[in-house]
Amino acid sequence: MKSSRIRPRYAALLAALAILLGLASGLLKKRAAVEAAAIQAPMFEVDPLWPKPLPNHWILGQTIGVSVDGQDHIWIIHRGGSLEPGETHAVTNPPIAQCCAPAPPILEFDEAGNLLKSWGGPGNGYDWPDSNHGITIDYKGNVWIGGNGRGPAPTTADEGRAAAATASYNDNMVLKFTQDGKFLMQIGKPNHSKGSNDIENLRLPAKTFIDQQTNEVYVADGYANHRVIVFDADTGKYKRHWGAYGNKPDDADLGRYNPNDPPAKQFRNPVHCADLSVDRLLYVCDRVNDRLQVFKPDGTFIKEAFLNKNTLGSGSVWDIAFSKDPQQKYIFLADGENDKVHILLRDTLQILTSFGEGGRQPGEFYGVHSIATDSKGNVFTTETYRGQRVQKFVYKGLGPVTKQDEGVLWPKSAAK
Amino acid sequence: MPTPAKDTLSHSNVVIVGAAKNLSVHVVRTVPHRTALLLATSCVRRRLLPRLACPVMAIAAICVALPAALCAHTIPDDVTVQAFAKPERDHLTLLLRVPLKAMTETEFPLHGPGYLDLARVDSSLRDAATQWISDDLEVYEGNTRLLPPRVADIRVSLESDSSFASYEQAWTHVTGARLPVDTQVYWDQAMLDVLFEYPISSDRSDFSIHPGLSRLGLRVVTVLRFLPPGGAIRAYEFLDDPGLVHLDPHWYQAAGRFVEMGFFHILDGTDHLLFLFCLVIPFRRFRALIPVVTSFTLAHSITLIASAYNFVPNTLWFPPLIEMLIAVSIVYMALENIVGQTTVQRRWMVAFGFGLVHGFGFSFALRQTLQFAGTHLLTSLLSFNLGVELGQLLVLALLIPALYLLFRYVVAERMGTIILSALVAHTAWHWMIDRWAVLRQYPFQWPAVNAAPLANGLRWMMLLVIFGGLTWFLLGELRHRAERDAETKPARVP
Repeated sequence: MKSSRIRPRYAALLAALAILLGLASGLLKKRAAVEAAAIQAPMFEVDPLWPKPLPNHWILGQTIGVSVDGQDHIWIIHRGGSLEPGETHAVTNPPIAQCCAPAPPILEFDEAGNLLKSWGGPGNGYDWPDSNHGITIDYKGNVWIGGNGRGPAPTTADEGRAAAATASYNDNMVLKFTQDGKFLMQIGKPNHSKGSNDIENLRLPAKTFIDQQTNEVYVADGYANHRVIVFDADTGKYKRHWGAYGNKPDDADLGRYNPNDPPAKQFRNPVHCADLSVDRLLYVCDRVNDRLQVFKPDGTFIKEAFLNKNTLGSGSVWDIAFSKDPQQKYIFLADGENDKVHILLRDTLQILTSFGEGGRQPGEFYGVHSIATDSKGNVFTTETYRGQRVQKFVYKGLGPVTKQDEGVLWPKSAAK
Repeated sequence: MPTPAKDTLSHSNVVIVGAAKNLSVHVVRTVPHRTALLLATSCVRRRLLPRLACPVMAIAAICVALPAALCAHTIPDDVTVQAFAKPERDHLTLLLRVPLKAMTETEFPLHGPGYLDLARVDSSLRDAATQWISDDLEVYEGNTRLLPPRVADIRVSLESDSSFASYEQAWTHVTGARLPVDTQVYWDQAMLDVLFEYPISSDRSDFSIHPGLSRLGLRVVTVLRFLPPGGAIRAYEFLDDPGLVHLDPHWYQAAGRFVEMGFFHILDGTDHLLFLFCLVIPFRRFRALIPVVTSFTLAHSITLIASAYNFVPNTLWFPPLIEMLIAVSIVYMALENIVGQTTVQRRWMVAFGFGLVHGFGFSFALRQTLQFAGTHLLTSLLSFNLGVELGQLLVLALLIPALYLLFRYVVAERMGTIILSALVAHTAWHWMIDRWAVLRQYPFQWPAVNAAPLANGLRWMMLLVIFGGLTWFLLGELRHRAERDAETKPARVP
């Protein structure tokens, strides 16, 4: 009768298998340790299902700002006026079709992508911008917006050139509201700007940042001026301003950007961001000059870095957001000309890796314009031109940098 | 004023739609892009009427069209409450941060365009903390409900304040300096930080909490961290009202909770019940039923536990794949019943295979609730399993007699098996098609396998091989001894 005992050869095989698995496990553990020590950068995946569809046949136009508030709610601002006629057939008189209608300019979403609130537009007591631009939620929860609307276009090329240097343009202000849309304050008046040294008015301001420590608002000013200017965030009182390298700004025409020229002594237009880090360094986006300049809060120049220096057109340095670790070790840079987001090491301003590609699919961009992070490390981007959307990139932890260009961050793991 | 959004109607009359949570009546304002804006008649209740008369008077009140401006502020959609609970010697400290806008009926002193008057706000804050927070919080020491707490300290904070990242920072913040009186903070963009103290007899007691804070908003997420003396911090995150939560559960408390969860989970799981139904139609006798149901149980236990310990692909496509395979399993089982000629051995083997799939399905529901397991993860998993089994047994206890009666008095067994299985197959077929349509939308990629999880996986495989080998050896030895005993036993002589 056949014995039902385990045969010695099978026992030997099992033992060998167990030893092999143990050895392999040990080797892989060593490799894991090596991987952990390599250069690391935050990893992401696009969430193609964020945000949820808007109600009321609403559609977004050029989405021109994003900010995350203390509740991890995501605020965006967009331009309903940038939609094509065929996209607004629900609001013609009489309505041509059921769809669509421009969404209100300011929208608030929760983490899950549900629309919570929407408001904005002209009203009594303040001057809503012709072309809104940028949104920032400050540490008190107030909502700040800018604008880069120029007003009526010049009728001749000569007028255009003259206008570029001297015209006040329309959007010379930033506005402050509560989260419910109640107006609180306006700094600057339309069509009043006298240029880059006017301390009462702005000229097509791009973005604001509010410093909690000093309650000051830094304005990246902007599409017509060539400076950063600082006001008191409660009273609007002027504090200081400066241009590139901390110099006095001027509005002389610098001509087209040429990467082979020496670095320009002034900012070109637009000065597109001004963000203060936890260790009190102010990072300024000199977009068309393809550079990031770093200052102290008083305007003392510290250093600069050129990023994708050969980028022409609208430039490479559009907007930045800091990573949410306490040291803000990384900077996420939105590059709307190359249609990528670059991840920089903040200490060295070196690009560690980049993600994204030009296109229409989730994780691709057309004119990636603004960027923000939430408390969980997720990244939110918005796109202008005909990109016209906000996207969420879910933070997946730190990982070793294996490629200079990650390409499209297509989802391959669970969203949570 | 800013132009209101197009969908907002003017606030004239309101239409009643019915009673809802906490016996407050919800008055719906017709705002298309939200499910409801709530004007709880608790406004009326709190100002005019005693608590007990609330539901009756509230119902009477709702019969009258009320101006929507009866209550000052709308109930917020989305509220996050952060909390710490720490027992220390003779008192339990409960630190909470709640958005001020959630306390919709409290009138806070204001100035200017709506800024909080920080010089005069204290008494309103204390009232709000009591009415909106401590009155709805039930805290227990053992089985005894603790008396209402003392408001030891209270503050207004800015939304951007991050002190509640840890207990120590939160405590320092709430007991420390107040915001400067001239700070301009809009009232509904501020946070209320409150420090409650509950007298207790011992900091080593068992504490539990019933956070009835769902009144604060349409969707209230509470993040609670419990700091037991000398123990690891326990973190919870729950939506609306989770019922009574044991903060540091004993194994039997965790077990009880999870048995209940498992029991009701299987009863709610139509696809699991249909699979079970198909499994037992041809094998209703006790001797056949035991191996079949046991093998299904064993299989889903394995994958349920594996999933809880994260031995599953962490990919977007995995849950829809499992959902689809569950539908496939029902279709297969129903078709096998129709074709007939299946044996118990075949049935229990198939049940084991599909049981592995169903186990993953159970685990998706379990993930959110594992926080209530405390340190008793394995106990909770096994209890969940036990609950599932009890639910299964209940279903079988009802099903088997019903099938018996059906096949005895209504339709012949074979015909009845075919008809019932065909009906189930039809339903499951449609599920399968729908779930396939969902699965197709996910691009398939192998999950990224890094060295660290691969090393862990190999270590587990090594342990399985060792365990499997030992089991094989022991079984072989036992069988060998049984055979040897049979050989040496003298044959019976007639």
